[in-house]
Amino acid sequence: MKIKNISSAAKRFWLLLFVVGQMGCTEFLTEVAPSNLTPESFYTIPDHAEAAIASVYADLRFMGNGAGIFSTNWQLLEAMTGTSTTETAQNSDLNNLYGLVHDGNTIHIRNYYIGLYRVIAQANQVIDKVPAITPMDAAQKKRILGEAQFLRASAYFTAVQLWGDVPLITKPQTASSEDFSPSRASVESVYKLIVDDLVSAEAAGLPWMDASGRVNSAAIKAQLAKVYLTMAGFPLKKGASHYKLAADKAFEVITYANSNPNVINLFTNYYDVHRENTKNKLEHLFMLQYNASVAQNPMGNFFPNFKPVTFSGPGGTGSSVPTSAFYNSYETGDLRAKNQDGYFYTSYFTNGSGAPFELGAPYVFKHFNQTANGSAGMPGTRNNNLNVPQIRYAEVLLTYAEAQNEVGGPTQAAYDAVKRIRDRAQLTTPALASLSANSFRELVWKERWYELCYEQITWFDMVRLRKAFNENTKGFDEFVGHTNLSSNQKLQQKHLLLPLPIPEMQNNPNLKPQNPGY
Amino acid sequence: MYSIEVAGASSVLTFTYLGYESKDVVVNNQTVINVTLSPDSKVLSEVVVIGYGTQRKSDLTGSVSSVKENDLLERPSPSLNQALAGRMAGVQVNNNSGRPGGRTTVRVRGFSSINSSNNPLYVVDGVMLPQNTQSQFSNAIDYINPNDIVSVEVLKDASSTAIYGARGANGVILITTRKGKAGDGTVTYNVDMSVNTTGPNKPEVLNSAEYIAVEDLAWRNMEKYDPNGWKAGRWAYLNPKLRRIDPRVWNADGSPKFDTDWFKESTQAKLSQNHQLGFNGGNERTQYSFGMGYRDDQGLVKTTYLKRYSGRFTIDDQIKPWLKVGGTLSYNNQSESLSDVNNAVSRQIVEDFPFLPVTYEDGTYANNRDFPFAEGTFSSVHRLMGRQFILNTQTTLGSFYANIKLAEGLEFRSVSGVNIQTQENNASQTRTLAIANRGEASASNRKETFWSLENYLTYNKSINKIHNINALLGVSWQQTDIFGISANVRTFATDYFGFNNLGSAAIINGAGSDAAQFSFNSYFGRINYSLKNKYLVTVTGRSDGSSKFGENEKFAFFPSGALAWRVSEEDFLKGNSVISNLKVRTSYGLTGNSEIPAYSSLSLLSSNYATVIGETRVSGTGISRLANPNLQWEKTAQTDLGVELGLFNNRLNIELDYYYRLTTDMLLDAPVPSTSGYTTIRRNVGSMENQGLEFSLNATIADREKFKWTSFFNISANRNKVLSLATPSDIFNVGGPNFTNPTNIIRIGEPVGSFWGLTRLGIWSEAERAQAAKFTSYRNGLTILPGDIKYKDVNGDFAITDADRSIIGNGSPDFWGTLSNTFRFGNIDLTLDLQYSYGNDVMMMNFHPSEDRQALANSYSSVLNAWTPTNQNTMIAEVRDTRAGYVTNVDSHWIKDGSFLRGRNLLLGYSFPAETLSKLRLSKLRVYASAQNFFLIVTDKIIGDPEVTPTNQGGGNSAFSQGMIWHNYPKPTVLLIGAQVAF
Repeated sequence: MKIKNISSAAKRFWLLLFVVGQMGCTEFLTEVAPSNLTPESFYTIPDHAEAAIASVYADLRFMGNGAGIFSTNWQLLEAMTGTSTTETAQNSDLNNLYGLVHDGNTIHIRNYYIGLYRVIAQANQVIDKVPAITPMDAAQKKRILGEAQFLRASAYFTAVQLWGDVPLITKPQTASSEDFSPSRASVESVYKLIVDDLVSAEAAGLPWMDASGRVNSAAIKAQLAKVYLTMAGFPLKKGASHYKLAADKAFEVITYANSNPNVINLFTNYYDVHRENTKNKLEHLFMLQYNASVAQNPMGNFFPNFKPVTFSGPGGTGSSVPTSAFYNSYETGDLRAKNQDGYFYTSYFTNGSGAPFELGAPYVFKHFNQTANGSAGMPGTRNNNLNVPQIRYAEVLLTYAEAQNEVGGPTQAAYDAVKRIRDRAQLTTPALASLSANSFRELVWKERWYELCYEQITWFDMVRLRKAFNENTKGFDEFVGHTNLSSNQKLQQKHLLLPLPIPEMQNNPNLKPQNPGY
Repeated sequence: MYSIEVAGASSVLTFTYLGYESKDVVVNNQTVINVTLSPDSKVLSEVVVIGYGTQRKSDLTGSVSSVKENDLLERPSPSLNQALAGRMAGVQVNNNSGRPGGRTTVRVRGFSSINSSNNPLYVVDGVMLPQNTQSQFSNAIDYINPNDIVSVEVLKDASSTAIYGARGANGVILITTRKGKAGDGTVTYNVDMSVNTTGPNKPEVLNSAEYIAVEDLAWRNMEKYDPNGWKAGRWAYLNPKLRRIDPRVWNADGSPKFDTDWFKESTQAKLSQNHQLGFNGGNERTQYSFGMGYRDDQGLVKTTYLKRYSGRFTIDDQIKPWLKVGGTLSYNNQSESLSDVNNAVSRQIVEDFPFLPVTYEDGTYANNRDFPFAEGTFSSVHRLMGRQFILNTQTTLGSFYANIKLAEGLEFRSVSGVNIQTQENNASQTRTLAIANRGEASASNRKETFWSLENYLTYNKSINKIHNINALLGVSWQQTDIFGISANVRTFATDYFGFNNLGSAAIINGAGSDAAQFSFNSYFGRINYSLKNKYLVTVTGRSDGSSKFGENEKFAFFPSGALAWRVSEEDFLKGNSVISNLKVRTSYGLTGNSEIPAYSSLSLLSSNYATVIGETRVSGTGISRLANPNLQWEKTAQTDLGVELGLFNNRLNIELDYYYRLTTDMLLDAPVPSTSGYTTIRRNVGSMENQGLEFSLNATIADREKFKWTSFFNISANRNKVLSLATPSDIFNVGGPNFTNPTNIIRIGEPVGSFWGLTRLGIWSEAERAQAAKFTSYRNGLTILPGDIKYKDVNGDFAITDADRSIIGNGSPDFWGTLSNTFRFGNIDLTLDLQYSYGNDVMMMNFHPSEDRQALANSYSSVLNAWTPTNQNTMIAEVRDTRAGYVTNVDSHWIKDGSFLRGRNLLLGYSFPAETLSKLRLSKLRVYASAQNFFLIVTDKIIGDPEVTPTNQGGGNSAFSQGMIWHNYPKPTVLLIGAQVAF
């Protein structure tokens, strides 16, 4: 068979050209992501700075993320204290925390490590990129940088207390960054960054309080006071100099509060500590923000196991419930231990608002949102908008009392501070004259346990003091050798620090050595 | 018509056509020579479809399995994958759900990837389907009407798949659909009616009396397991007597009024039907076909269904002697009710309390949550009736081709294809189910638009009948656009709207959209050379460029080569009375995997952060992905050795293949130090190997006029091993539903996705009381007692921690296959199709809620064998209310040997004889009846079906969840009758 004529060949040629010719496009394989921005195309106008700081706030919520079945990350900081136990044993990681046999694979530990460094990375992005945005109002820029510094410092503060020496990352990272696989930095150098950041944030011109939930000056000063207090104790043992710094910084807040009692103060009742309409106000200096439009309150694992205390019926897990030993150790008459009037409840209303029923045991009321879950005869709104408190004025008072006592024994102001906490609990306080520095110290510590329990604070107190509250003697044991009544296991030297997550050590050969004992 | 000049009268013209015997004609003085070629009779000359062409099976150098229309018709199925299961060695098709349409996974020669897709590439009439997994774990092939398919070829070795380069690593499945034929027009009508009935191995649960006895015991045993709490009266409120008081449920004496069988209440046996109508005709120049289909499958579980409407048109026209054009256009509209997805219905069927009625007298649903202090769940029937979960998929698939004959043996072919797929996923729950939200609804829409243009030249040349050359050279452009939009809302004043009026909800939770585009530009070529029809060589290569890869690595080259020797064509074997065919072949080549999300190489920010400032939602932008400008293809190098043997005039055909596949540069979400703020980077790192054997045997055992017996047997084995990863760090969070501690592990040196857990040694006995008490409590801080689970304490520290976990099983079988026999007695045909699998473990995740714990919900009957002081030799812990402390962990007791033998299909058919047909003026009439999944033999005590993956597929990375039983849609026995008519 042969081609018959030239015109037929020409037709074939034109047809070929039609088919092949229309595909001349040169940038066929170039890609531009339509649903994401790139760092090169962002951080150019002030609104971008606001969006960037919003992502830091958003990532703070990692503490409320899941850690396997029936558990959330924040339980890391409750399970080891011995003040709570579980009504279900479904989560083996959580069991191991309760039993003090956690290791570098325990999911809560890994999630905290990842979560904290994620916050740090988002903050680093703000601190690195926002200064170059022009034009931008100088005050706005300073404010945003101050917020980022506070949030970064707070994340490092948690990390250094949990693991000791931790990598110190202060710049945005790419895969080719020099410190992409960092070594551990000394506790000292981490605290230096924390203090520098907080001091700088303090000067950012933020308002004393901010009802919108943003970082504010009261929060920064309170955090700085707590950092100094911690530096004064273990492991840095800075002692008197830092007790003084802590006392002075806390007293700045107290001074302001005393002259502005409608701005910063203690709530008059414990109900206000967990109410939707007191968020970010008066006693709540800083909180994690929750609203059903973004995310609902993450403290649900404090609910009893399948008892119908909310509108949704029997739904709770009971994976963090008070030990009866801790609950029973409250002084007789302490309002904080009174059913539904304090920080605990032992009865509630069926499905939140129906017939009352006995729970048979105490549960944590501090994070219970009656507006959402229901109260006597009042059905819940079903949207749990309750915030999670991070810094309360009550803690500032106790920080001051403790630090001031270490500087030179109990003063009237220190006494007044702790007395206010006890007064609210309807407890009488021994006269100042009857208190020595030692007895005053233990009095304050005890109030920290009773007032700040189940707020993810107690564990850090145990570590910096190397003490643990003994529910039976109502005194303080040395950390090492104390028996956690939740599991009858003894605290050991190694428990002062968490193990570094093993996957992190495997992914970063410079992350070594592992903390002793793990 | 043709004209040709020849040298003289003694010239010989050779007429060849693929699939026909060639014919030599001496010209002599003839001026017109017309020939009719007769079809090649030998099985070996069967034509198979290969990438960008066709080839005689005898000329193949690679490993290609083929299934023809008649085989597909034997097992009427709603999806092609179900029809293919077990037909080809080395191709593991698992039908992992009993729901209409099933849910299949297809693995050709094992796993090739960890983070990228393991799905094969499907090519329909030259148009590639999307390879990625789509909405609700569906795949584009699920939306092709299997009745339109006339042949399926699976390309397995690198020599066959390398022509598909970067998309060939998981194997390629070529699908040829029905085309028009010249000659008398034909009309075909295929119909079947079926019913899904309860299948083998249904879960056995406690009845009312048994449950009540277990609950009574569970409460009494709280005294033993939490003595202090018991003494303090902490558990008094759980006294069953105080809980059994609701007069709607309990008699005054505390006895139950009902004994409900929830399985029965949740299932149905409803009639399903399938109608397929086809028209076919044409002349020498133009051929057409036209088809319509309607299928309505009603699932075993109430409210679940699959409905499909499909239509299809094809035309082929020899428009000029040198130009042939044609095209196919098909439309498929599929609606599926997946009420079981993420809805725990199957779990609830087990856990619903038998003492509850389905509804109370006032018509409201009874739920477990109505029983005081039970787990707060809703009943299976309530969930089924109160929830909608609909997946609507519309697919338009079209292709157009033009063939231009440029010169003798030289052809140009252009194929343009388009595939537009729209998937709507709509869901709603009533106000009584979504209590917190007072009703909720969502709707989402995802559109995936694909087009391709492929142009290639083919050249055929035969020199002196000694050298045969077939060459191919081509270029291809492809692009995919994806756009998705979704909205979800809550709080309705009425259940009336479902998802049909989202605007009427009080709260708009969220609205979202996303878009992506990716493209390929490729160049490919192939040369087949055969010497004396005995020595065959194939060389192929494809250069692929993808937009998904890093700026520096857009293109990659995938070569392959193959050799084959047709030993039976050698003189020493020719005419041998026993060996009628013997071919040995080997191939080696590289193929790739590019199935990662678009933009994986870029540094990206996410703008989906949200925080609350002043009680208002404020959106944020932050870090999201690390850049990797060097991101490139995942490569699989494959070596294949094969033997094809035909005995006794090919009445017995054997094919044996060994392969070794090495995947390197795996596209891995490689972990990075999380101090960077990131946890992974998409990187080419790590390697994995698969090696295996495939054996298949086709035998015509008897072939007489009145009796024919054909037998088909295959067996495949695959061994997988992870060779290296980015870091020594094990990878978890793959596989299962992820609600417990990790279930699966990816570890260097082990099969990918192995089961991971503790070893349950048994239950602590009375004699071991002191030993048990030494353990750090793994039970609510309470002392471990006789009656608690006893684990292997690997490191001897008297604590049960991660250090005590190890690999406890693997979901992949040691070997698997099919034995199928077809008998024909005159006009009656009988097919018995058996499926087997050996050495695959299953993980009974169901034991976690339904055996390890009691008194919160109903349990499996197996808890009747729980530990008691007089029954200490058992694997089941002593019954107690969970609140007194119980233990549940992923452990070796959950692992069972999942080896099974399944009666996959039993089919009896009758074809009416020619005399009857001519009276009826029909060309074909066959009626048949079939039973599918009609028996199941399992070696170990397994509750449910061992061929399974979890309903929610374990979220993101589900590739390694094979064999995980997590309350799955029960697999029915299908009873079916049908007829095939043609005239």
